Amino acid sequence: MMVFAMAMLPVWAVITGEQASRILESLERNLLTPIPLCFVLGIICTRIHGGIKIPKELYYSIAIFLLMSIGFMGGHELAHEYEAHGVSTIWKPALATLFLGCLTPITSYLVLHYVGRLSIADSAGIAAHYGSTSAVTYAVANSFVEQTQHPANSFLPTLVTILECPGIAIALIVGATLSARERAAKAAASGRPAKESKLGEALYEVITGQSIMLMAGLLLIGFISTMFMDSKSFQPFYDFFQSKGMLFRGVLCIFLLEMGLVAGEKLGDLLKVGPFLIAFGILMPLAHGFVAAYLGHAAGLNLGGCTVFAAIVSSASYIAAPPAVRLTLPEANPTLSITAALAITFPFNIAFGIPIYYEMAKWVGAQ
Amino acid sequence: MQLYPLKLVTVVGESVIMEDIAEEGMKLGATGFTMSEVSGHGSRSARNVASTTGAQTMKVEFVVPADIATSILTHVSHQYFEDYAVIAWLGDVQVVRGQQYVK
Repeated sequence: MMVFAMAMLPVWAVITGEQASRILESLERNLLTPIPLCFVLGIICTRIHGGIKIPKELYYSIAIFLLMSIGFMGGHELAHEYEAHGVSTIWKPALATLFLGCLTPITSYLVLHYVGRLSIADSAGIAAHYGSTSAVTYAVANSFVEQTQHPANSFLPTLVTILECPGIAIALIVGATLSARERAAKAAASGRPAKESKLGEALYEVITGQSIMLMAGLLLIGFISTMFMDSKSFQPFYDFFQSKGMLFRGVLCIFLLEMGLVAGEKLGDLLKVGPFLIAFGILMPLAHGFVAAYLGHAAGLNLGGCTVFAAIVSSASYIAAPPAVRLTLPEANPTLSITAALAITFPFNIAFGIPIYYEMAKWVGAQ
Repeated sequence: MQLYPLKLVTVVGESVIMEDIAEEGMKLGATGFTMSEVSGHGSRSARNVASTTGAQTMKVEFVVPADIATSILTHVSHQYFEDYAVIAWLGDVQVVRGQQYVK
């Protein structure tokens, strides 16, 4: 908590008393709801060696449901948006997403390597996590804006899908290119042939990985079925997948409980990663979130849309990125990147980040 | 019943590389492999990250003639030992229907 308060000092310095009380109100409205509270329960349970255990199969089944639901509802809403406005409302946010997907891994890499003095591989490895996005952060942010009666633009799930890949790809390409020189020099010194790079394989696995296949696949299925099915036959699918529904919200609680259990285990690693990475895990998302809220507003997103957009841009991947980084940059230390993504940025976003992005979105003028 | 003397190569390591190791073992002359999810702890196992199926540590086993066993172990040690949490060992086995394991 102390570290968090210190890391937030520059933020507190530029906001007025009235804004601060509004942020605190939003924090309260966000924190005292079942989804973040389940996450907190998970952390507490791990720390006191409690007995909650979520079967791995259930966790992965829920992940599949959440990804399918996000994709399907995204496709459904996208079809309505397309019927009403064509592509006129979508292309600017999509372009902003692509731009930020390319920008965030580069800013993260520069800060980590030049300010934090981390090695090329570690900087690029962490940058790959922060360049990509977390679908669960999207789901929680979306629930938050629905609770505040400012639902996000319907096509936000499309933006989550766009954001998933470029960040990981750019960071891995930068990291692999820069560290290849070091590796070649090392191989020459030891007199052995250089090891083959697994960059291509890792990129293929990211693009054809579960997250993208399920989200993009269901987005297409939701879009096609909305266009071609009558609404009565479509209704059961809508009821099953809808993100405002009891099924989605309920399983999200179970998922967050498991995330809390995992994050609780990683808390011990906070001491190993040091104060720089803790500050990075809080301040970098805030900086990325602010740029995203600003660009999202400029691209025409509404208040809920800007909030969710800021949350997804600032979030860090912890499912797709770790294996890809491990394959491509084996000399990077995974404890650093996974602790930053899972034990610092994810809890920060769930508890404090999302309400702050909401206030940022208001501040830039989103309505 | 005739038994054939062959070698059992066992590789245990991070799940992200195990499918590659199985594939590379086949290229080096193995006629098959067995792969399973395992759990355990070692000096470098903190480096493990979960693969997309959630497995952290996996084991792959090959039953092969001695020369292929040597080439698999040489390949694994050169390609993976430095950067990944991985361990490999060799054992003597007596195999029923052993002729199937020789190409």
